[in-house]
Amino acid sequence: MSRRAAAAIVLGAVALAAVLALLWFLGREPGAGGPEGPGEQEEGGRLVTFELYFPGEGGYLYPEQRELAAPADPRGRARAIVLAVLDGPTTSGLHAPFPQGVGLFDLYLAADGTAYVDLGDEERPDPPSGGSLAEMMMVYSLVDSLAFNLPEVERVSLLWNGLQRESFSGHLDTSAPLLPAEDLLAEAARRRPKAGG
Amino acid sequence: MRRRLPPVRLAFVLLLAVAASSTAGPRPQPPPPGDATVPGAAPLQPRPGERPAEPPIEVPFEPGAETHDLGPPALTTDAGPLFPLRRIVSRLGGTLSGEDGSVVLALGGTRVIAGPGNPVAIVGREIVELSQAPFADDREGLLVPVDLLRASYGELLDFSFDWSLEAGRLTARRGLAATLPVVVEVVHLQGVTTVVLRFPERFDYELVERREAVEVRPRRDRFQPPIPIPRVADPLVEDVRVAEDRVRIELAPETRAESYVLERPFRLVFDVVRAERSRSVAEEVPGIEPGRPHQGLRTIVIDPGHGGGESGAVGPTGETEKDLTLELARVLRARLAERLPVRVVLTRDEDASLPLDTRSAIANQNKAELFISIHLNSSLGARARGAETYFLSMEASDARAAEVAAAENRGAAELDDPLYDLQLILWDLAQSHHLSASQRVAALIQEELNTTLGLRDRGVKQAPFRVLMGAAMPAVLVELGFLSNPEEEERLKDPAYRSELVEALVRAIGRYRSEVDERAARATAQGGPGGAAEPTP
Repeated sequence: MSRRAAAAIVLGAVALAAVLALLWFLGREPGAGGPEGPGEQEEGGRLVTFELYFPGEGGYLYPEQRELAAPADPRGRARAIVLAVLDGPTTSGLHAPFPQGVGLFDLYLAADGTAYVDLGDEERPDPPSGGSLAEMMMVYSLVDSLAFNLPEVERVSLLWNGLQRESFSGHLDTSAPLLPAEDLLAEAARRRPKAGG
Repeated sequence: MRRRLPPVRLAFVLLLAVAASSTAGPRPQPPPPGDATVPGAAPLQPRPGERPAEPPIEVPFEPGAETHDLGPPALTTDAGPLFPLRRIVSRLGGTLSGEDGSVVLALGGTRVIAGPGNPVAIVGREIVELSQAPFADDREGLLVPVDLLRASYGELLDFSFDWSLEAGRLTARRGLAATLPVVVEVVHLQGVTTVVLRFPERFDYELVERREAVEVRPRRDRFQPPIPIPRVADPLVEDVRVAEDRVRIELAPETRAESYVLERPFRLVFDVVRAERSRSVAEEVPGIEPGRPHQGLRTIVIDPGHGGGESGAVGPTGETEKDLTLELARVLRARLAERLPVRVVLTRDEDASLPLDTRSAIANQNKAELFISIHLNSSLGARARGAETYFLSMEASDARAAEVAAAENRGAAELDDPLYDLQLILWDLAQSHHLSASQRVAALIQEELNTTLGLRDRGVKQAPFRVLMGAAMPAVLVELGFLSNPEEEERLKDPAYRSELVEALVRAIGRYRSEVDERAARATAQGGPGGAAEPTP
């Protein structure tokens, strides 16, 4: 067998393996039906700096600058923000507002400025329980992060497993869209112009 | 036949869809969840210059198997015929609403979203590839391919579609058995548990009543269990199980159920009571004197937060908010009864789940002059401590305005619903008239808690708390400490410490009552109306 023939066989084998791997990749159904979890955000899109808000000392939301790969469309940016908030902060002293396992089912931006965010956790039929402060930190980390970063978002309607709840943890009214709460932001973060646009 | 796409292939389809739409004009966005799934959502208004939304239509489903002539296509392309969705809905049933040419079709509890130029549609939470994109016709509205009808009416409601090229007409036939999605609601209110089974349409059923359970069995159709399966934590109903062939309401011992039917939407309602219960609620709650005019502060409703399957905050050692708030409320009721000439009613006196609106409704039904919801807090960090008292913030939420607008946009169907009427009455924004008095009560409570117990002052705050929204009287929510803080959890487990907290509340309520009485006396002396005058801060 000539060296040229051997090289052709090797190249052919490599190409065949690549095709088989691609077919396997296209055919698999990772996590079919489940919510999109943190870290599963789509690759691509230019890097955009957003100011996300996470719970911290004193019952306030503290800003954290995060560079996220976000598509140009507002819905893609909103998804990137939600997934990053679900993922939690990188700054020590701040807390992840949602328990591990909570993911994003779907997100839609309506023309009237309402962002509909369908969260869920297949292990958790109901939203996380807790006290009113924990609930406010959880809910407004998302509401404020979306509304203060995206000019297209004026209010946020939260759903859990596709359903609109009267309340997530038994206090806040989540049966209708919520406006952002600037008074929950730590002093340094208040009255900032919208970023990331 | 509908094809379900694996996620990665779906991404390719979506990319193709985006590419196709980028050449054929802007890609229509699916509208947000419509009123069928997001009851509190603000109705969508077209912006100036935009094509106005198609007028929504709602057509009830007719039971039984029959054949429908859906007529000829409005348009035929190389990929096949397209039919006006409005015509389909008007003949087969469903609720259609939309925005900018995209439509939301509600079939029972499932949303179907489709838009012109978009070769995929959303059925429930699945994205479905279509043989061709729907087309927006100026006169007939959205034109859709048959495979969208099969993916929606076919998959969800057992319709089969027959497109005859020779006859040039589409016919639909409903199978002998329909799949009926079931929505289960369980509400416990003052000794009566009401189980509501909601169906998308009337159907033929058999009711089997036994001592330990009541069963609803469809004679011809089958049920689609709700997702998620509801958890029942109720003193009178042990469980509600939904299978394809029956809904089974399992009753607690020594109870009985009475059933009745509500229409539009079709609902089977079961009131479950203790077997020996025969007297009215008013007879059972001491002190209720229907029709008696209120003077000053006479009735106080105390709401122990959470309950049943909803534990609320949980401390590091497992102490639950629902148990401690019930203990605190019971002691507070006893102390108030000893010290003040007031009637005290608890929203719950057992470990039972209670919707937030029901809690404020109890206060309204009892014509209370003060509503206090008792809670214990939790934070994500363990160090947070102290008490805080809330009264309602109307500004932080669009909820109520949206709710009223949505209510106005619903048809007359729900106006016949007594629960709907009650909601509207409760909504009445009565709370807004009491905000200043609520603020005063909150300040007095916070002051007493701070000075007596040396708690860190987290202050009087406002928040859009649901339980305060329906209350037609001054209403506050008090957080008596952080259960998530190990030290505070230990203190809250101590009955003596809880007694101190209750004493602070009793003093605050006493001060508020004095202010109310003084105000009422002044009003009477000046010849003004009596009644539960409210002090201003």
